[in-house]
Amino acid sequence: MNDRRPTRPMIEVEGLHKHFGDNHVLRGIDLAIAAGEVVCVIGPSGSGKSTLLRCINHLEVAEQGRIRIDGELAYATEKRGVFRPHSNRAIAAVRAQLGMVFQHFNLFPHLTAMGNIIEAPVHVLGKPKDLARKRARELLTQVGLADKEDAYPEELSGGQQQRVAIARALAMDPKAMLMDEVTSALDPELVAEVLATMRDLAAQGMTMLVVTHEMNFARQVSSRVIFMDQGMIVEEDSPEHIFGAPRERRTRDFLRTVLER
Amino acid sequence: MEIFNVEIALRNFGPLLAGLMLTIELTFVVIAISLVFALLVALGGMSRFAPLRWLVKVYVEAIRGTPLLLQLIYVYYVLPEIGIRLNSFTAGVLALTLNYSAYLSEVYRGGIQAIARGQHDAAAALGMPRMLAMRRIILPQAIRVVIPALGNYFISLFKDTALCSVVSIQEVVFTAQILAARNFQYFTLYTVVGIMYLAVSFPAARLVAYLERLTKAGYRRRRS
Repeated sequence: MNDRRPTRPMIEVEGLHKHFGDNHVLRGIDLAIAAGEVVCVIGPSGSGKSTLLRCINHLEVAEQGRIRIDGELAYATEKRGVFRPHSNRAIAAVRAQLGMVFQHFNLFPHLTAMGNIIEAPVHVLGKPKDLARKRARELLTQVGLADKEDAYPEELSGGQQQRVAIARALAMDPKAMLMDEVTSALDPELVAEVLATMRDLAAQGMTMLVVTHEMNFARQVSSRVIFMDQGMIVEEDSPEHIFGAPRERRTRDFLRTVLER
Repeated sequence: MEIFNVEIALRNFGPLLAGLMLTIELTFVVIAISLVFALLVALGGMSRFAPLRWLVKVYVEAIRGTPLLLQLIYVYYVLPEIGIRLNSFTAGVLALTLNYSAYLSEVYRGGIQAIARGQHDAAAALGMPRMLAMRRIILPQAIRVVIPALGNYFISLFKDTALCSVVSIQEVVFTAQILAARNFQYFTLYTVVGIMYLAVSFPAARLVAYLERLTKAGYRRRRS
């Protein structure tokens, strides 16, 4: 499907711990995602899925653990076992390599769809405006919104806004996409259009880490499913195994409750 | 009771209008400087550098806890004792700017803090450093939020410039005082002054109300 070596690790997480006050939300997460892989993270709310995603691009700062993006240690430098946190600029540079899509879209309301998409390529990467616009039009076409470039976010439906948000993240040519419950805030009839966009993206070989409650998407699109509970990875396996024959009791219980609805 | 004397009003209209012009000039100069200065104060108050935050806090509290009249007198009469001699107009501009910037910085701060966390997250996730995100994403939205509040402060600034008579700026109220001391036509002169203030502040208040509706209307394509 693509010429990337399937074994090259794009995102590696090692021994990640995170507290919110007394609440130990991540209790030692180890995870490796290869280039081109689509990994879905499922689990009950409060299990730490979103926090894990937010730690990977440093929107939350983990107290312990290492994160590597495309083989490079991110957000800190290690010298003889001692870690030194990166400067804000260096952190921003790592984030620029990761696309993130949020539950509540978080489009910039004062900019048009076009403005949202070219903002970071122009002002972070220093891309010439005309090139950024050309690429933005391609991306809008890809997400099915070629006629919406002049629309402001509040003139768009939730599903359209989320597709613009995906295009905005793609405009940075990210090495991987982090998607945080991107369909949870949408009206049911708008979910399908966003999932279709994500399927296309997966088919193009984009590396994706997707926190989701859409079990059908996880089952059909992902190369691997991770089940998280209480800040730990309980089980990870192919979708066939997770949904067909989960090994862990907690996985079975969770899937029973969500699939019964 | 004396009655409104049209002839006196007409004869003194010229000097009073000149006073009003000075009032308006003073207002606009202070607006222009404090719009920028107050923003710097607001950003300083949110800085990661603690001494700068404290400095801003002391400044804002000192200004808000003392009368504007005292601040004017202080700048004009006390500063010369430590060798800072300012002419009337400069002293008035300085005191008013320091005073209004303290209040406006709080308005800016409120506007900046009103912007949802998700906007900061989205900007950060796109690799925008903090100051770039502030300039390109947060401030444009925050300024829109605070425009009506700023407008109302500027209308009250326009009226507060009358206090500058204590530092001998011949704005419109002080001009009327000088004229009345000569002809004792208090009723006529001060009525004209009142009407002059209203003639400016009433349309200005309508303009602010219009801007408020405009900023609440959201971000949409303008269809011509």
